[in-house]
Amino acid sequence: MFWIKATTRFICARRRPDEMMREVETELRFHIEMRTRANIEKGMRPDDAQRAALQSFGDFERVRNNCCEIRRRLPFDSTPLKMGLHITIAVVAGLAALWAVNVPHHNLTGVMRQLIAISVLACLFIVVRRARSARRCDSEHVCAAPGETSPANQSLMSDMSDAPSAKITAYDELGRTPVERVFKS
Amino acid sequence: MLALDHLGGYPLPKAKGSLLQGTLDMLILKALSLGALHGYGVGQRIAQISGEALKVEEGSLYPGLYRLEQRGWIESEWDVSENNQRAKFYKLTRAGRKQLIIEEQNWERLAGATIKALRAV
Repeated sequence: MFWIKATTRFICARRRPDEMMREVETELRFHIEMRTRANIEKGMRPDDAQRAALQSFGDFERVRNNCCEIRRRLPFDSTPLKMGLHITIAVVAGLAALWAVNVPHHNLTGVMRQLIAISVLACLFIVVRRARSARRCDSEHVCAAPGETSPANQSLMSDMSDAPSAKITAYDELGRTPVERVFKS
Repeated sequence: MLALDHLGGYPLPKAKGSLLQGTLDMLILKALSLGALHGYGVGQRIAQISGEALKVEEGSLYPGLYRLEQRGWIESEWDVSENNQRAKFYKLTRAGRKQLIIEEQNWERLAGATIKALRAV
């Protein structure tokens, strides 16, 4: 039952991304509305209550995109499937290349077969390229742009820089680092 | 109050305090073990059962809920809320109940070991 539901959800998320996004937005907006109501009950003015609710929610778009990204994932570990697909593509491409090399070149059929083989290879190449770029786009959609650190990572980085363990370097009594100890001994 | 933040399945230390990885998932499962709830209700219930000591940030709560649903530990359906609004309600599945027991046992083991280590002289 779970697999049927999960697969249906995955297909719907892939086929109707706008609908999925609307659904996530509805859910998040409901949350903000509930928070606003709670703030009003605490005695805040409606405007202030809504502003406070939005502020406490944080980056709406980021949360929405994270949720959509999770929904777009396969409901199981897709690594073996991807590996299988890549191996199949490689085998088909190799066979097509062999077929193209072995055909006689002097007649029309040979040339046609070569053209077909080249087309097959080109199609496979395009499919792989598209799949890779789509995956990259998906990850960029939720992550920061290249060269820019996402807020979550910034938080992690600042936390790490504050952590005492990040500042500890195992100097010995002569003030040498572990690497210096190894190479200079 | 401790703020829980969660990214990619692992909580990140954010404010003054942070909890160990997997804690948010366990807390969500625990909150839902007491009955079906919408996302806002899950956050409220976690705060309530922790004696207002824990606050789950929305930026972590919803991805957490979606992740748990993806794993089959919780399931959701749209219904009408107490305010007559359309809301998505989550409830624990059988797999989620089993997972909660596992998570609780792991947590108790870890907490016990940590306390033991801290009390060592």
